[in-house]
Amino acid sequence: MIISKIANKGLNIGPLFFLYYLSISEIDTYFENFFEILSFNIQLIIIYFWVLKRPSLLGNGHIFFAGLINDVVMGFPLGISSLCYLIISLMATYIKNMSVNTSITSDWFTFFLAAMFSNGTFLILASNFSEIQINFLDMSYNTFFTLIFFPFFWFLFNVYNSMIGNRNV
Amino acid sequence: MSSSRDDFGIAIRSALLQRGAATKFSLISLIVLASIIFILDINNFTFTKPIRSIINDGIYRVSLVASTPTKVLPEAVESMRNFIDIKKENQRLKTELEIFRQKELNVEYLTNQNRNLKKILETEDKILKSNIILSKVLIDKSSPYLKSIIINRGSKSGVLKGLPVLDKENLVGKVVETNYLSSRVLLLNDLNSRIPVTFGGEGVQAILKGNGGTKPSLEYLPEDFIIEPDVDVFTSGKDGIFLPGSPIGKTTQDGEVKLFSDPNQLSFVTIDLSKQRKEVF
Repeated sequence: MIISKIANKGLNIGPLFFLYYLSISEIDTYFENFFEILSFNIQLIIIYFWVLKRPSLLGNGHIFFAGLINDVVMGFPLGISSLCYLIISLMATYIKNMSVNTSITSDWFTFFLAAMFSNGTFLILASNFSEIQINFLDMSYNTFFTLIFFPFFWFLFNVYNSMIGNRNV
Repeated sequence: MSSSRDDFGIAIRSALLQRGAATKFSLISLIVLASIIFILDINNFTFTKPIRSIINDGIYRVSLVASTPTKVLPEAVESMRNFIDIKKENQRLKTELEIFRQKELNVEYLTNQNRNLKKILETEDKILKSNIILSKVLIDKSSPYLKSIIINRGSKSGVLKGLPVLDKENLVGKVVETNYLSSRVLLLNDLNSRIPVTFGGEGVQAILKGNGGTKPSLEYLPEDFIIEPDVDVFTSGKDGIFLPGSPIGKTTQDGEVKLFSDPNQLSFVTIDLSKQRKEVF
Protein backbone atom coordinates (compact mmCIF):
# COMPACT_ATOMS: atom_id res chain seq x y z
CA MET A 1 0.00 0.00 0.00
CA ILE A 2 2.72 2.45 1.03
CA ILE A 3 4.93 1.36 -1.87
CA SER A 4 2.03 1.88 -4.25
CA LYS A 5 1.44 5.37 -2.83
CA ILE A 6 5.12 6.25 -3.22
CA ALA A 7 5.08 4.92 -6.81
CA ASN A 8 2.00 7.04 -7.54
CA LYS A 9 3.66 10.13 -6.08
CA GLY A 10 6.80 9.39 -8.08
CA LEU A 11 4.84 9.08 -11.31
CA ASN A 12 2.88 12.23 -10.55
CA ILE A 13 5.95 14.41 -9.99
CA GLY A 14 7.69 12.98 -13.09
CA PRO A 15 6.72 15.75 -15.54
CA LEU A 16 7.47 18.49 -12.99
CA PHE A 17 10.84 16.92 -12.16
CA PHE A 18 11.64 16.61 -15.87
CA LEU A 19 10.74 20.27 -16.44
CA TYR A 20 12.91 21.49 -13.56
CA TYR A 21 15.75 19.14 -14.47
CA LEU A 22 15.83 20.34 -18.08
CA SER A 23 15.88 23.95 -16.90
CA ILE A 24 18.61 23.56 -14.32
CA SER A 25 20.93 20.89 -15.73
CA GLU A 26 23.42 21.05 -18.55
CA ILE A 27 21.29 18.71 -20.66
CA ASP A 28 20.58 20.64 -23.80
CA THR A 29 18.41 20.07 -26.77
CA TYR A 30 20.78 21.75 -29.19
CA PHE A 31 22.38 19.06 -31.34
CA GLU A 32 24.78 21.12 -33.44
CA ASN A 33 27.23 18.20 -33.57
CA PHE A 34 24.70 16.06 -35.44
CA PHE A 35 23.02 18.70 -37.54
CA GLU A 36 23.98 22.37 -37.27
CA ILE A 37 20.44 23.73 -37.18
CA LEU A 38 18.86 21.00 -35.05
CA SER A 39 17.53 22.36 -31.78
CA PHE A 40 14.18 22.10 -30.08
CA ASN A 41 12.48 23.23 -26.93
CA ILE A 42 11.19 20.27 -24.90
CA GLN A 43 10.07 22.56 -22.06
CA LEU A 44 7.36 24.02 -24.30
CA ILE A 45 6.13 20.53 -25.22
CA ILE A 46 6.12 19.38 -21.57
CA ILE A 47 4.16 22.43 -20.42
CA TYR A 48 1.67 22.32 -23.28
CA PHE A 49 0.99 18.59 -23.05
CA TRP A 50 0.63 18.32 -19.29
CA VAL A 51 -1.40 21.51 -18.83
CA LEU A 52 -3.70 20.23 -21.57
CA LYS A 53 -3.99 16.64 -20.37
CA ARG A 54 -3.41 16.69 -16.62
CA PRO A 55 -3.07 20.25 -15.29
CA SER A 56 -2.96 19.07 -11.68
CA LEU A 57 0.64 17.85 -12.26
CA LEU A 58 2.13 21.19 -13.29
CA GLY A 59 1.21 24.23 -11.21
CA ASN A 60 1.49 27.70 -12.69
CA GLY A 61 3.93 28.67 -9.94
CA HIS A 62 6.25 25.83 -10.90
CA ILE A 63 6.06 26.79 -14.58
CA PHE A 64 6.93 30.38 -13.64
CA PHE A 65 9.81 29.29 -11.43
CA ALA A 66 11.20 26.86 -14.05
CA GLY A 67 11.24 29.79 -16.50
CA LEU A 68 13.22 31.93 -14.06
CA ILE A 69 15.77 29.14 -13.57
CA ASN A 70 16.07 28.71 -17.33
CA ASP A 71 16.75 32.45 -17.70
CA VAL A 72 19.54 32.36 -15.14
CA VAL A 73 21.20 29.26 -16.64
CA MET A 74 20.91 30.43 -20.24
CA GLY A 75 21.78 34.07 -19.55
CA PHE A 76 18.52 35.58 -20.79
CA PRO A 77 16.92 38.60 -19.10
CA LEU A 78 15.03 37.41 -16.00
CA GLY A 79 11.34 36.75 -16.56
CA ILE A 80 11.43 36.28 -20.34
CA SER A 81 11.24 32.46 -20.32
CA SER A 82 8.63 32.58 -17.53
CA LEU A 83 6.47 34.78 -19.74
CA CYS A 84 6.84 32.41 -22.69
CA TYR A 85 6.08 29.35 -20.58
CA LEU A 86 3.04 31.05 -19.06
CA ILE A 87 1.79 31.97 -22.54
CA ILE A 88 2.02 28.30 -23.54
CA SER A 89 0.19 27.39 -20.33
CA LEU A 90 -2.48 30.02 -21.03
CA MET A 91 -3.05 28.69 -24.56
CA ALA A 92 -3.22 25.10 -23.29
CA THR A 93 -5.72 26.03 -20.56
CA TYR A 94 -7.82 27.94 -23.09
CA ILE A 95 -7.86 24.95 -25.50
CA LYS A 96 -8.72 22.66 -22.60
CA ASN A 97 -11.66 24.90 -21.65
CA MET A 98 -12.90 25.17 -25.24
CA SER A 99 -12.60 21.59 -26.44
CA VAL A 100 -14.19 18.31 -25.42
CA ASN A 101 -12.29 15.66 -27.35
CA THR A 102 -8.75 16.17 -28.58
CA SER A 103 -6.64 14.13 -30.97
CA ILE A 104 -2.99 14.31 -31.95
CA THR A 105 -3.83 16.41 -35.01
CA SER A 106 -5.83 18.98 -33.04
CA ASP A 107 -3.17 19.07 -30.29
CA TRP A 108 -0.43 19.44 -32.87
CA PHE A 109 -2.20 22.29 -34.64
CA THR A 110 -3.03 24.15 -31.42
CA PHE A 111 0.53 23.61 -30.18
CA PHE A 112 1.74 25.16 -33.44
CA LEU A 113 -0.23 28.32 -32.64
CA ALA A 114 0.89 28.33 -29.00
CA ALA A 115 4.58 27.81 -29.90
CA MET A 116 4.46 30.53 -32.55
CA PHE A 117 2.87 32.96 -30.10
CA SER A 118 5.29 32.06 -27.31
CA ASN A 119 8.46 32.19 -29.43
CA GLY A 120 7.21 35.35 -31.13
CA THR A 121 6.87 36.99 -27.71
CA PHE A 122 10.39 35.82 -26.84
CA LEU A 123 11.83 37.22 -30.06
CA ILE A 124 10.08 40.59 -29.73
CA LEU A 125 11.04 41.05 -26.07
CA ALA A 126 14.63 39.86 -26.51
CA SER A 127 15.37 41.89 -29.63
CA ASN A 128 13.64 45.11 -28.60
CA PHE A 129 14.05 45.35 -24.85
CA SER A 130 17.38 43.65 -24.12
CA GLU A 131 20.95 43.89 -25.37
CA ILE A 132 21.08 40.33 -26.66
CA GLN A 133 20.78 39.73 -30.38
CA ILE A 134 18.72 36.78 -31.49
CA ASN A 135 19.05 35.32 -34.94
CA PHE A 136 15.57 35.10 -36.43
CA LEU A 137 16.59 32.10 -38.53
CA ASP A 138 17.87 30.13 -35.51
CA MET A 139 14.62 30.91 -33.73
CA SER A 140 12.62 29.70 -36.73
CA TYR A 141 14.61 26.44 -36.88
CA ASN A 142 14.05 25.92 -33.17
CA THR A 143 10.30 26.46 -33.55
CA PHE A 144 10.18 24.23 -36.61
CA PHE A 145 11.98 21.30 -34.96
CA THR A 146 9.93 21.72 -31.77
CA LEU A 147 6.83 21.28 -33.93
CA ILE A 148 8.35 18.34 -35.79
CA PHE A 149 9.23 16.53 -32.55
CA PHE A 150 5.87 17.27 -30.89
CA PRO A 151 4.11 14.04 -32.05
CA PHE A 152 7.00 11.89 -30.76
CA PHE A 153 6.77 13.41 -27.29
CA TRP A 154 2.95 13.39 -27.51
CA PHE A 155 3.00 9.59 -27.84
CA LEU A 156 5.65 9.23 -25.17
CA PHE A 157 3.78 11.42 -22.68
CA ASN A 158 0.48 9.77 -23.58
CA VAL A 159 1.91 6.40 -22.55
CA TYR A 160 3.13 7.98 -19.31
CA ASN A 161 -0.25 9.63 -18.80
CA SER A 162 -2.07 6.31 -19.21
CA MET A 163 0.34 4.77 -16.67
CA ILE A 164 -0.65 7.46 -14.17
CA GLY A 165 -4.32 6.93 -15.06
CA ASN A 166 -4.09 3.15 -14.54
CA ARG A 167 -2.37 3.55 -11.20
CA ASN A 168 -4.89 6.11 -9.93
CA VAL A 169 -7.76 3.76 -10.88
CA MET B 1 -21.96 35.14 -33.27
CA SER B 2 -22.42 36.76 -29.88
CA SER B 3 -22.60 33.32 -28.31
CA SER B 4 -19.19 32.34 -29.68
CA ARG B 5 -17.77 35.65 -28.43
CA ASP B 6 -19.21 34.89 -24.98
CA ASP B 7 -17.66 31.42 -25.08
CA PHE B 8 -14.28 32.90 -25.96
CA GLY B 9 -14.58 35.44 -23.14
CA ILE B 10 -15.54 32.81 -20.59
CA ALA B 11 -12.76 30.41 -21.68
CA ILE B 12 -10.02 33.06 -21.68
CA ARG B 13 -11.22 34.55 -18.34
CA SER B 14 -11.31 31.09 -16.86
CA ALA B 15 -7.82 30.30 -18.19
CA LEU B 16 -6.40 33.52 -16.77
CA LEU B 17 -8.07 33.54 -13.38
CA GLN B 18 -8.57 29.85 -12.64
CA ARG B 19 -6.94 28.48 -9.51
CA GLY B 20 -7.08 24.96 -8.21
CA ALA B 21 -5.38 22.46 -5.93
CA ALA B 22 -2.10 22.45 -7.86
CA THR B 23 -2.41 25.93 -9.31
CA LYS B 24 -2.19 28.21 -6.30
CA PHE B 25 -1.47 31.27 -8.40
CA SER B 26 -3.62 32.51 -11.25
CA LEU B 27 -1.95 32.82 -14.64
CA ILE B 28 -2.64 36.54 -14.89
CA SER B 29 -0.89 37.30 -11.58
CA LEU B 30 2.18 35.29 -12.65
CA ILE B 31 2.26 36.92 -16.10
CA VAL B 32 2.19 40.35 -14.40
CA LEU B 33 4.91 39.25 -11.96
CA ALA B 34 7.11 37.90 -14.80
CA SER B 35 6.64 41.16 -16.71
CA ILE B 36 7.66 43.22 -13.63
CA ILE B 37 10.77 41.06 -13.11
CA PHE B 38 11.65 41.42 -16.81
CA ILE B 39 11.27 45.23 -16.72
CA LEU B 40 13.35 45.49 -13.52
CA ASP B 41 16.06 43.29 -14.99
CA ILE B 42 16.41 44.97 -18.37
CA ASN B 43 16.53 48.43 -16.78
CA ASN B 44 19.40 47.37 -14.49
CA PHE B 45 18.05 48.96 -11.33
CA THR B 46 20.80 49.07 -8.71
CA PHE B 47 18.82 47.14 -6.11
CA THR B 48 18.20 44.23 -8.52
CA LYS B 49 21.91 43.63 -9.21
CA PRO B 50 22.89 42.08 -5.85
CA ILE B 51 19.67 40.03 -5.81
CA ARG B 52 20.35 38.71 -9.28
CA SER B 53 23.96 38.02 -8.35
CA ILE B 54 22.90 35.90 -5.34
CA ILE B 55 20.27 34.04 -7.41
CA ASN B 56 22.83 33.39 -10.16
CA ASP B 57 25.47 32.07 -7.77
CA GLY B 58 22.93 29.80 -6.10
CA ILE B 59 21.43 28.42 -9.30
CA TYR B 60 24.83 27.89 -10.95
CA ARG B 61 25.92 25.72 -8.00
CA VAL B 62 22.67 23.74 -8.04
CA SER B 63 22.99 23.38 -11.81
CA LEU B 64 26.52 22.04 -11.40
CA VAL B 65 25.28 19.41 -8.93
CA ALA B 66 22.25 18.56 -11.10
CA SER B 67 24.50 18.12 -14.15
CA THR B 68 26.84 15.72 -12.33
CA PRO B 69 24.98 12.54 -13.42
CA THR B 70 25.14 13.60 -17.07
CA LYS B 71 28.87 14.17 -16.72
CA VAL B 72 29.63 11.14 -14.56
CA LEU B 73 27.61 8.64 -16.61
CA PRO B 74 29.65 8.93 -19.84
CA GLU B 75 32.85 8.76 -17.78
CA ALA B 76 31.58 5.62 -16.00
CA VAL B 77 30.66 4.02 -19.32
CA GLU B 78 34.10 4.88 -20.67
CA SER B 79 35.79 3.38 -17.59
CA MET B 80 33.74 0.23 -17.96
CA ARG B 81 34.67 -0.04 -21.62
CA ASN B 82 38.33 0.46 -20.72
CA PHE B 83 38.08 -2.24 -18.08
CA ILE B 84 36.67 -4.69 -20.61
CA ASP B 85 39.36 -3.82 -23.15
CA ILE B 86 42.11 -4.05 -20.57
CA LYS B 87 44.12 -6.70 -22.41
CA LYS B 88 44.24 -4.70 -25.60
CA GLU B 89 45.02 -1.63 -23.54
CA ASN B 90 47.90 -3.43 -21.88
CA GLN B 91 49.42 -4.39 -25.22
CA ARG B 92 49.03 -0.86 -26.50
CA LEU B 93 50.62 0.58 -23.38
CA LYS B 94 53.58 -1.78 -23.65
CA THR B 95 54.21 -0.60 -27.18
CA GLU B 96 53.84 3.00 -26.11
CA LEU B 97 56.24 2.45 -23.23
CA GLU B 98 58.85 1.24 -25.67
CA ILE B 99 58.42 4.38 -27.73
CA PHE B 100 58.65 6.55 -24.63
CA ARG B 101 61.84 4.81 -23.53
CA GLN B 102 63.38 5.66 -26.84
CA LYS B 103 62.30 9.25 -26.43
CA GLU B 104 63.63 9.44 -22.88
CA LEU B 105 67.08 10.35 -24.07
CA ASN B 106 65.73 13.35 -25.89
CA VAL B 107 63.78 14.49 -22.85
CA GLU B 108 66.85 15.14 -20.75
CA TYR B 109 68.28 17.38 -23.40
CA LEU B 110 64.97 19.26 -23.78
CA THR B 111 64.61 19.62 -19.99
CA ASN B 112 67.95 21.34 -19.75
CA GLN B 113 67.12 23.58 -22.68
CA ASN B 114 63.75 24.42 -21.12
CA ARG B 115 65.38 25.26 -17.79
CA ASN B 116 67.76 27.65 -19.48
CA LEU B 117 64.98 29.33 -21.44
CA LYS B 118 62.87 29.70 -18.29
CA LYS B 119 65.77 31.46 -16.60
CA ILE B 120 65.73 34.00 -19.41
CA LEU B 121 61.95 34.46 -19.19
CA GLU B 122 61.72 34.34 -15.38
CA THR B 123 61.03 38.01 -14.79
CA GLU B 124 58.34 38.28 -17.48
CA ASP B 125 56.76 35.03 -16.32
CA LYS B 126 56.30 36.32 -12.79
CA ILE B 127 54.54 39.46 -13.99
CA LEU B 128 52.15 37.50 -16.18
CA LYS B 129 51.38 34.81 -13.62
CA SER B 130 50.44 37.34 -10.96
CA ASN B 131 47.77 38.76 -13.28
CA ILE B 132 46.28 35.55 -14.59
CA ILE B 133 43.83 33.39 -12.67
CA LEU B 134 42.74 29.88 -13.54
CA SER B 135 39.05 29.12 -13.56
CA LYS B 136 36.91 26.03 -13.99
CA VAL B 137 33.99 25.96 -16.41
CA LEU B 138 30.89 25.28 -14.31
CA ILE B 139 28.22 25.24 -17.00
CA ASP B 140 28.52 25.15 -20.76
CA LYS B 141 24.92 24.51 -21.71
CA SER B 142 24.57 24.86 -25.46
CA SER B 143 21.87 27.16 -26.68
CA PRO B 144 20.82 27.87 -30.24
CA TYR B 145 20.72 31.57 -29.35
CA LEU B 146 23.53 32.36 -26.89
CA LYS B 147 27.04 30.95 -26.80
CA SER B 148 28.33 31.46 -23.30
CA ILE B 149 29.86 29.57 -20.38
CA ILE B 150 29.75 30.00 -16.61
CA ILE B 151 33.06 29.99 -14.74
CA ASN B 152 33.72 29.60 -11.02
CA ARG B 153 35.42 32.97 -10.51
CA GLY B 154 33.58 36.16 -9.74
CA SER B 155 34.07 39.61 -8.28
CA LYS B 156 35.58 37.96 -5.16
CA SER B 157 38.60 36.97 -7.30
CA GLY B 158 38.79 40.38 -8.95
CA VAL B 159 36.95 39.46 -12.16
CA LEU B 160 35.35 42.44 -13.87
CA LYS B 161 33.11 42.84 -16.89
CA GLY B 162 34.99 42.97 -20.18
CA LEU B 163 38.07 41.01 -19.10
CA PRO B 164 39.56 38.68 -21.71
CA VAL B 165 39.23 34.94 -21.14
CA LEU B 166 41.84 32.58 -22.54
CA ASP B 167 42.20 28.86 -23.13
CA LYS B 168 45.94 28.28 -22.75
CA GLU B 169 47.15 31.35 -24.66
CA ASN B 170 44.23 31.52 -27.10
CA LEU B 171 41.43 34.03 -26.66
CA VAL B 172 38.02 32.39 -26.23
CA GLY B 173 35.79 35.23 -25.08
CA LYS B 174 35.19 37.99 -22.57
CA VAL B 175 33.42 38.34 -19.25
CA VAL B 176 29.96 39.87 -19.68
CA GLU B 177 28.40 39.30 -16.28
CA THR B 178 29.98 38.98 -12.86
CA ASN B 179 28.51 37.61 -9.66
CA TYR B 180 30.29 37.24 -6.34
CA LEU B 181 31.43 33.65 -6.96
CA SER B 182 30.81 33.12 -10.68
CA SER B 183 30.87 34.92 -14.02
CA ARG B 184 29.38 34.51 -17.46
CA VAL B 185 31.77 34.49 -20.42
CA LEU B 186 30.51 35.45 -23.87
CA LEU B 187 32.29 33.23 -26.39
CA LEU B 188 33.81 34.52 -29.63
CA ASN B 189 31.27 32.65 -31.77
CA ASP B 190 28.26 34.28 -30.08
CA LEU B 191 26.12 36.52 -32.24
CA ASN B 192 26.73 39.43 -29.85
CA SER B 193 30.55 39.14 -29.85
CA ARG B 194 32.70 41.81 -31.57
CA ILE B 195 36.50 41.77 -31.19
CA PRO B 196 39.02 44.03 -32.97
CA VAL B 197 41.63 41.83 -34.62
CA THR B 198 44.67 42.04 -36.82
CA PHE B 199 46.17 39.51 -39.22
CA GLY B 200 48.62 39.00 -42.05
CA GLY B 201 52.02 40.49 -42.74
CA GLU B 202 50.53 43.93 -43.39
CA GLY B 203 48.69 43.95 -40.07
CA VAL B 204 45.22 44.27 -41.59
CA GLN B 205 42.66 45.53 -39.08
CA ALA B 206 39.19 43.98 -38.86
CA ILE B 207 36.38 43.14 -36.50
CA LEU B 208 35.79 39.51 -35.62
CA LYS B 209 32.04 39.06 -35.43
CA GLY B 210 30.38 35.98 -33.94
CA ASN B 211 27.67 34.47 -36.10
CA GLY B 212 26.27 31.81 -33.82
CA GLY B 213 28.06 29.07 -35.77
CA THR B 214 31.42 27.50 -35.10
CA LYS B 215 33.45 29.96 -37.16
CA PRO B 216 33.16 33.73 -36.53
CA SER B 217 33.52 36.01 -39.52
CA LEU B 218 35.79 38.96 -40.32
CA GLU B 219 34.11 42.30 -40.99
CA TYR B 220 35.09 45.90 -41.74
CA LEU B 221 38.00 44.79 -43.92
CA PRO B 222 39.70 47.20 -46.34
CA GLU B 223 37.83 47.63 -49.64
CA ASP B 224 38.28 44.80 -52.18
CA PHE B 225 40.41 42.89 -49.71
CA ILE B 226 40.77 39.20 -50.50
CA ILE B 227 41.31 36.99 -47.48
CA GLU B 228 44.01 34.37 -47.81
CA PRO B 229 43.39 31.10 -46.01
CA ASP B 230 45.54 29.79 -43.12
CA VAL B 231 46.67 33.20 -41.86
CA ASP B 232 46.89 33.57 -38.07
CA VAL B 233 44.46 36.07 -36.51
CA PHE B 234 45.39 37.95 -33.32
CA THR B 235 43.70 40.53 -31.09
CA SER B 236 44.71 44.04 -32.08
CA GLY B 237 44.10 45.55 -28.65
CA LYS B 238 42.54 48.63 -30.29
CA ASP B 239 39.63 48.56 -27.85
CA GLY B 240 42.00 48.97 -24.90
CA ILE B 241 40.47 45.92 -23.24
CA PHE B 242 42.24 43.01 -24.83
CA LEU B 243 46.00 42.67 -24.80
CA PRO B 244 47.31 42.91 -28.37
CA GLY B 245 48.71 39.72 -29.87
CA SER B 246 46.49 37.08 -28.24
CA PRO B 247 46.06 34.31 -30.83
CA ILE B 248 42.48 33.62 -31.92
CA GLY B 249 42.47 31.34 -34.96
CA LYS B 250 43.25 30.88 -38.64
CA THR B 251 41.47 32.43 -41.59
CA THR B 252 39.48 30.30 -44.01
CA GLN B 253 38.70 30.87 -47.67
CA ASP B 254 35.16 32.09 -46.86
CA GLY B 255 36.34 35.04 -44.77
CA GLU B 256 35.71 33.17 -41.55
CA VAL B 257 38.07 32.28 -38.72
CA LYS B 258 38.61 28.73 -37.50
CA LEU B 259 39.20 29.19 -33.78
CA PHE B 260 42.29 27.64 -32.17
CA SER B 261 40.23 26.64 -29.11
CA ASP B 262 36.98 24.77 -29.69
CA PRO B 263 34.34 26.73 -27.70
CA ASN B 264 32.43 23.50 -26.99
CA GLN B 265 35.41 21.75 -25.39
CA LEU B 266 36.41 24.14 -22.63
CA SER B 267 37.07 22.74 -19.15
CA PHE B 268 39.49 25.25 -17.65
CA VAL B 269 40.11 28.81 -18.75
CA THR B 270 42.34 31.63 -17.58
CA ILE B 271 41.32 35.23 -17.02
CA ASP B 272 43.76 37.99 -17.67
CA LEU B 273 43.36 40.55 -14.89
CA SER B 274 46.15 42.77 -16.15
CA LYS B 275 43.70 44.94 -18.08
CA GLN B 276 41.39 45.66 -15.17
CA ARG B 277 39.35 48.76 -15.82
CA LYS B 278 36.14 49.61 -14.12
CA GLU B 279 34.19 50.11 -17.30
CA VAL B 280 30.45 49.98 -17.61
CA PHE B 281 29.26 47.97 -20.60
